[in-house]
Amino acid sequence: MIKPQLLRLLEDTLGMDENTLKGNETLRDLAEWDSMATLYFIATVDKHLGVPLSGDQVAKCQTVADLLVLMGNRPLAA
Amino acid sequence: MHAAISVVQYHLPEKILTNRELAEMFPEWSAEKIAAKTGIEQRHVSAADECPSDLAEAAARKLFNTGACSPGDVDFLLVCTQAPDYILPATACLLQHRLGLPMRAGAFDFNLGCSGFVYGLSLAKGLIETRQAKNVLLLTTDTLTKFLHPTDRGSRSLLGDGAAATLIQGRHDAPPGHLPWIGPFVFGTDGQGKDHLIIRTGGMRQRGSAGAADEMPSPDHFFMNGPEVFTFTLRVVPQTVKEILERAETTLDGVDLFVFHQANAYILEHLRQKLKVPAEKFVVALSQCGNTASSTIPIALHEARARGQLRPGMRVMLVAFGVGYSWSATMIHSW
Repeated sequence: MIKPQLLRLLEDTLGMDENTLKGNETLRDLAEWDSMATLYFIATVDKHLGVPLSGDQVAKCQTVADLLVLMGNRPLAA
Repeated sequence: MHAAISVVQYHLPEKILTNRELAEMFPEWSAEKIAAKTGIEQRHVSAADECPSDLAEAAARKLFNTGACSPGDVDFLLVCTQAPDYILPATACLLQHRLGLPMRAGAFDFNLGCSGFVYGLSLAKGLIETRQAKNVLLLTTDTLTKFLHPTDRGSRSLLGDGAAATLIQGRHDAPPGHLPWIGPFVFGTDGQGKDHLIIRTGGMRQRGSAGAADEMPSPDHFFMNGPEVFTFTLRVVPQTVKEILERAETTLDGVDLFVFHQANAYILEHLRQKLKVPAEKFVVALSQCGNTASSTIPIALHEARARGQLRPGMRVMLVAFGVGYSWSATMIHSW
């Protein structure tokens, strides 16, 4: 999946409108990133991407970009 | 001699905590949001002086009132609870006396939370099919709401108190097909999960209270790391389903009904989709009582029977998972 698709998937998971996320948001600033959001995110990545995540991995994420990395979106080479 | 479930009854405490009342306690969540996130409309909460043994006693009396057996017929009592009346003696001994069970009956406690019911069926089957007992009364009972921290919105939304009474009896006939009335079984344990579902104080590691803690995690209170427990569930449940199907020499299509531990509706739906189980074959029965720990499966069985989803002769898969970590699965022929 490429980055825009991952962002749309994340928006759907968090119950946000389409095209809301740019990919550089801080999770702390997102109202939708509440205690259930981590569960929804783990479930989504399991269901759509087949990647098993631990709660620890998600807890370490500070930004949407960090979530994208867990979803398999590699950062662009420098 | 073949062990089989004969009847299931349950009892919930009188006081109800609705989503509306929860939303008043935690204003950042509306009642509608709580229902949507958890699949739970209300949960029952034990009174301050109401112990799990009291709920278990009430459930047992309901079972006796069905006429399925009388107290005098019970020759073994199994009590599954994480909150015994005392450190000693066992709550099962207290209930033997309170229920008027014969003094020749065996009775003991075991404690395995959400996995307890399936483990209890295994114990009952072992006792009956080795001819050590004929009429085993299995009581599952928990009051986790008593251990909740005031700020723990998540757990307070999910957990409810309750008890179930299940009668497992020896019978001479075997059911049709190649499977027994109860069995086979799959078990699992992973003690590395200890810190993710725990009440730290009150046992031997830390006997006294840790003192007041303003927020979670608090050693005196129930702590659940939701994301970690969810990850554990995703890792273990599909594999367990695969193993029990192999042991039972059957396929998903060969199972008529699936009854999982009722952790929360979101996890249940995720698992159902992941396993590709049709909705009509998957029991969800927690909206009126929440997650009652060791009693969720027997309560779900009772409710599924009441609504006609569980019918006599059905082959049912039970999958339990939770604190420990621990897990277990079995197949039963419905009574």
